[in-house]
Amino acid sequence: MKLLKTSLPVLALAGLFMILAACAQMKSISSLPDSHPEALTTGQQVNCSECHEDQQKGTMKAFAAFSHSATFVKNHRFYSASDDRLCSTCHKSSFCNDCHTNKVQMKPSTKYGYRPDREMPHRGNFITLHKIEGKLDPASCYRCHGRANNERCVACHN
Amino acid sequence: MKNICCRLVCSASLLAFPVAASAADISVDSSTIFRIENRDVTGAKKQTLLPATQFLGLDVDKLADGNLSLHFYGWGRADLGDKSYNNDKVDGSFTYGYLQYRFKEANAAIRAGRFFVREGIINEQVDGVNARTELPMGFGLSAFGGATVHTKHLYAENSDGKGDYIYGGRANYRYKGMLELGASGLYEGKAPTLANYTNGNHRLLGGDIWFSPHKTIEAMGHTSYNPETKRVAEHTYLLNIKPVQHLVLSGEFNEHRERSYFYAWTMFSGAALDPAEKSRSVGGSASYEITRNFEVVADYKHYTREIGNADRYGADARIKFLDNSVRGGLSYHYLRAGKGFAIGTNPTASYHEVRGYAMHDSKNYFAAVDALGYFFRDKIYNEKSAWEAMLSLGYHITPALALSGDISYGRNPEFIEDTKGLLRLTYNMTFDGKGGKK
Ligand code: HEC
Ligand code: HEC
Ligand code: HEC
Ligand code: HEC
Ligand code: HEC
Repeated sequence: MKLLKTSLPVLALAGLFMILAACAQMKSISSLPDSHPEALTTGQQVNCSECHEDQQKGTMKAFAAFSHSATFVKNHRFYSASDDRLCSTCHKSSFCNDCHTNKVQMKPSTKYGYRPDREMPHRGNFITLHKIEGKLDPASCYRCHGRANNERCVACHN
Repeated sequence: MKNICCRLVCSASLLAFPVAASAADISVDSSTIFRIENRDVTGAKKQTLLPATQFLGLDVDKLADGNLSLHFYGWGRADLGDKSYNNDKVDGSFTYGYLQYRFKEANAAIRAGRFFVREGIINEQVDGVNARTELPMGFGLSAFGGATVHTKHLYAENSDGKGDYIYGGRANYRYKGMLELGASGLYEGKAPTLANYTNGNHRLLGGDIWFSPHKTIEAMGHTSYNPETKRVAEHTYLLNIKPVQHLVLSGEFNEHRERSYFYAWTMFSGAALDPAEKSRSVGGSASYEITRNFEVVADYKHYTREIGNADRYGADARIKFLDNSVRGGLSYHYLRAGKGFAIGTNPTASYHEVRGYAMHDSKNYFAAVDALGYFFRDKIYNEKSAWEAMLSLGYHITPALALSGDISYGRNPEFIEDTKGLLRLTYNMTFDGKGGKK
């Protein structure tokens, strides 16, 4: 029942969209493609400007802002907060979920042991180090271990 | 009114009958991973862990009229040796499974099932419905609602401390790709009362900004407010400056009011924290692509907490050869941190971190080596360092199917020795598909 109650406003909004979708003004707002038209290599650092000229269309941000520099990767959370739609043209949700926001089975650096070039959180054995890092910046841990992915922690923290 | 109902019903029935597939695109991702770990912990008996894990992802695109798609991901694990976790010998997780209908205009989409929402200050896993669209004149809306996903039970409790339902959304405004402003909020049902933990309701309001007056400058971040504690929970901001091509200078500022930010962190009884405590971190980094194949990054961060302050600085170098097929990296960081951050009664928590790796991938095989060491200023449990070295080798049986194995050995204060082996079979249909490895 609660589920229905909370879903109702969303459904109402969904209904609203459909009416809006029918109106001519909406038709002029173009959509991103379902998936990125060009296959990209898996190696690090996708430089969007290599293929995209930076002429900016409508309300889209300049492509270069999304080039996967070391700075982008480290701070991707800021970009995903407002451009999740764009991310999902190239990334399946599972790509993100291997690192966070759910019940993760093993450290991403173990699952992808063959990819040392990727920016994985806490590689190696972290049990010792976490006692220092956890005191240094607990907010960073909360982002991943706060409301999910903390089954392992409960063994010692209770 | 009749019109609205009709549309709602039409869309609902659309969601209910995905089987009316025309030329559906199906893709499957699977990883099967066997791990072997020999642990030797001081004062405990030697353990052999043998967990076998299966990850499975399924995506079916172009269903019904071509705009409907189905997405699924989950895993299951069985321990063939000693328990690898603290609870059961078998475990699993249904990570997500949803139907999505994308409209041709305005990036409008509706999702139903289990999915993740990332909008402004929101980052949640939900069982429910999510709808979003752009609107004329640069506006946009997104809303979600449903049941929270419970992933575990806390020790000696029959709950994970989360409320039963959650809803929220974000409204935004964009101006010509140079400014975006967003307002978002989330509301979770009342958090259950627990015997051993102090937890609070998960409810937040926030505002986010992205501003790029010129292509060389980009500022972004968000602030969240906790209506339960009536205080700001988080400020987090980032400024990127690109004065010349290939050079990125960036500065960040983060501030958390502990009780307000950790209010719903049941495991650490966040709601019991001191409302006056505040932590802050300020940092900067410079990354420079000297050539297309060689990049260096230098970074610095200063942390301020009630228990003291600390600094971390260091540098990374990354190199690529032979059309990206050989990659390597080296990094060094030093953490200077005092007694407040140290383990046990150590006078300092300072340590050096050194890492190096190299890898090669070709059509037929791939290989990687990785070594990581931590060297402590003060011995931790009588050990001066913690280190781990890893070797990985793999073979592409077909472009989509690969078999690989990793072996690692390490010593650290916690486990006197830790030897791990892993065997991995991956099948990835989208490996070569659109948008790279999605
Ligand atoms: C290897 C070349 C290449 C790279 C690198 C690349 N793209 Fe593309 N992209 C293309 C091609 C080709 C198209 C289809 C033609 C077009 O629309 O420009 C495309 C289309 C797109 C579209 C759809 C444009 C539209 O109006 O329909 C988006 C959005 C996009 N790319 C984003 C990105 C982003 C963001 C990056 C960097 C993270 C990126 N691309 C990197 C080649 C590339
Ligand atoms: C045009 C396609 C494209 C777009 C758009 C895109 N990415 Fe990526 N991204 C990639 C590719 C390709 C990789 C490299 C994957 C690999 O090496 O296996 C990658 C890697 C990453 C990584 C992992 C880096 C690492 O070192 O592990 C993160 C995190 C990431 N992207 C986040 C995002 C976010 C957030 C967005 C949206 C703001 C986004 N990406 C948009 C193509 C894209
Ligand atoms: C290689 C691991 C990795 C991958 C893959 C990854 N992330 Fe992250 N993500 C991180 C790390 C590390 C942090 C924490 C960063 C910090 O503290 O600043 C983070 C934080 C976030 C946050 C902030 C969470 C919060 O509660 O504040 C969001 C949102 C996010 N990532 C979205 C994404 C999206 C979307 C993708 C997929 C396109 C993705 N991430 C892929 C490692 C990853
Ligand atoms: C990007 C998300 C992310 C961030 C940020 C993150 N973790 Fe983790 N952490 C994970 C994942 C995923 C695992 C593997 C899940 C598991 O083993 O249960 C993990 C595992 C661990 C482990 C077990 C390590 C081991 O070697 O077995 C510890 C301890 C830990 N994290 C502590 C922390 C602390 C403390 C912080 C903050 C300084 C932190 N984590 C930040 C995602 C993250
Ligand atoms: C093997 C036992 C063990 C496991 C498993 C474990 N921890 Fe810890 N953790 C500790 C100990 C012991 C300390 C305190 C060390 C001290 O204060 O000297 C600690 C400290 C911390 C701190 C700092 C707390 C403070 O005092 O401010 C954080 C944060 C933390 N752990 C998070 C995690 C997270 C998140 C996980 C799961 C991913 C985890 N821990 C798993 C034993 C463990």
